[in-house]
Amino acid sequence: MLPVYGTKIYTSKVVDGNEVIDSADYTIPPFSFVNQDSVVVNNETVKGKIYVADFFFTSCPSICPKMKKEMLRVYEKYKANNEVIILSFSIDPARDTVARLKNYSGKLGLENSSKWHMLTGEKDSIYAIAASFLVSAAEDPNAPGGHVHSGNFILVDKQSRLRGYYDGTKTESVDKLLGDIDILLQEKQP
Amino acid sequence: MKKLIRYLAPLTIVLIAAIFIYNIVTNGYIQHPGKTSYQKECAQCHGDKGEGIKSLIPPLIDADFAIQNIDSIPCWIKNGLNHPITVNGKLYDQPMYPISIDEIQTANIINYISREFLKNKTEVNSAWVKEKWNNCP
Repeated sequence: MLPVYGTKIYTSKVVDGNEVIDSADYTIPPFSFVNQDSVVVNNETVKGKIYVADFFFTSCPSICPKMKKEMLRVYEKYKANNEVIILSFSIDPARDTVARLKNYSGKLGLENSSKWHMLTGEKDSIYAIAASFLVSAAEDPNAPGGHVHSGNFILVDKQSRLRGYYDGTKTESVDKLLGDIDILLQEKQP
Repeated sequence: MKKLIRYLAPLTIVLIAAIFIYNIVTNGYIQHPGKTSYQKECAQCHGDKGEGIKSLIPPLIDADFAIQNIDSIPCWIKNGLNHPITVNGKLYDQPMYPISIDEIQTANIINYISREFLKNKTEVNSAWVKEKWNNCP
């Protein structure tokens, strides 16, 4: 059983004159971005799917190539399983246009963009979604490439709940992710 | 006393040699001084085995571009590389970022890459690296 991350949301309601406290797990709020094929990817796209998210930018000189190499392992393993998809958000959306993301995904040899979406959109929305995954992403003129971001891979379940964080630059950590995706695939849906 | 030293001296030498050989046998090899620096500074893109990443990052294994331009490698490490290159017939245009390491580490890395991936026996030293650095484009 994998943990569920994020603060539970408590609501109170009155049932038969008594106050009842209800709790709900934290979930990723609705979003909408565009992928490398100009296709809109939003909360409907990921509905009922397990997905792995990460943050990167195509001109990133430091940890991104290694992260993409590790993400390729996720891509290869679940290529034929349509319950699992990948979302890579660009934190440099002004430069990372659809054309540029298409070029980058081509260099990684991706044939199937509905399996691994590389996403761009409004900068503020990208930073907001990073915050909702509980990871950091920011501009920093002193960092290599001008941006800093978490090297995490984030595992999200079919109900949009946060289920795991992994170091996308470490092979052993991504081994753990692959095992945890298999655990999630076995999980019974409510 | 003199006799004792005469016997002990060769024994000590044999003992030291035995420890040395034991180390080589148990560790399998003597680690190249450039290996740690390579793994820290280069491997996350070029790979532990110099294999590169798909069409994003060029391989170092038998890389003709590196073999033909060995004199330029110190400047690529120091200043990065920001234009498209062709390696073994394939075009790569992801920029290489500069690494801040000294001339000794740079020489060690180049020797490690040469020996492990380029099958090149020439060894370079820190003076050679400095000389190349003084003439970077």
